[in-house]
Amino acid sequence: LARGVQHTAVRQAHRKHEPNFHDKYGNLVLLGGAAAFTAVWGYVLTQAGIEWGLSPVGRITPKEWRE
Amino acid sequence: MLASRAFSLIGKRAISTSICVRAHGHGNQKPEWVSLLFPCTAGVVKAEDFSLPAYVDRRDVPLPEVAFVRDLSAQQKALKEKEKASWTALSVDEKVELYRIKFNESYAEMNKGTNEWKTVLGGVLFFLGITGLILIWQKHYMYGPIPHTFSDEWLSMQTKRMLDMRINPVEGISAQWDFEKNEWKK
Repeated sequence: LARGVQHTAVRQAHRKHEPNFHDKYGNLVLLGGAAAFTAVWGYVLTQAGIEWGLSPVGRITPKEWRE
Repeated sequence: MLASRAFSLIGKRAISTSICVRAHGHGNQKPEWVSLLFPCTAGVVKAEDFSLPAYVDRRDVPLPEVAFVRDLSAQQKALKEKEKASWTALSVDEKVELYRIKFNESYAEMNKGTNEWKTVLGGVLFFLGITGLILIWQKHYMYGPIPHTFSDEWLSMQTKRMLDMRINPVEGISAQWDFEKNEWKK
């Protein structure tokens, strides 16, 4: 029991270190970066008019070409 | 142990007749064995911190060469005196204080992870996003119009012509088309 009390006391006596940059802003940077990434590349992939050359399989409906 | 070895090296004669100032008790300027090996060191430049044994928080160095706290306050000195008596007389807080004198971070504190990965990953994603902005700029200001052979109408006719010619019938495009039902295979 005495040893358990001692262990508890040592745990509680841990000095809470001053939060660093990552503690304060880490979540914000992570989510902000992910949001920026998704927004920009979402636009690039769908709206910017870039031809990606995707396969016609499952996408293009064949049309008569002979005149 | 090291001090006694130094004793036998120099011989008792040098110690007893030495008139030079010794660092003993002058608050941790140099370790005692230095003044035993080099008795006449008065007038020498004070040893710089980086040349002395240093404290380090490392997983593979469980007992660093020196204690963490070098200069003890009066209160801490009194506690060190009490430490020389029976340890059962020490309270838990005193034991913790003795620990903190000897060590900076506990193993738990040393091994603690950080949130650094969030900043790293967030930063990486952000700059990759800037790369996407470059692509947008390129498409808008640099590239000309794409060839007319990419229009939907042209692609439809092109695809039918490829299927009519049975292009790549084994594993390629014609193998993906169901010629009975006239639709892409599921």
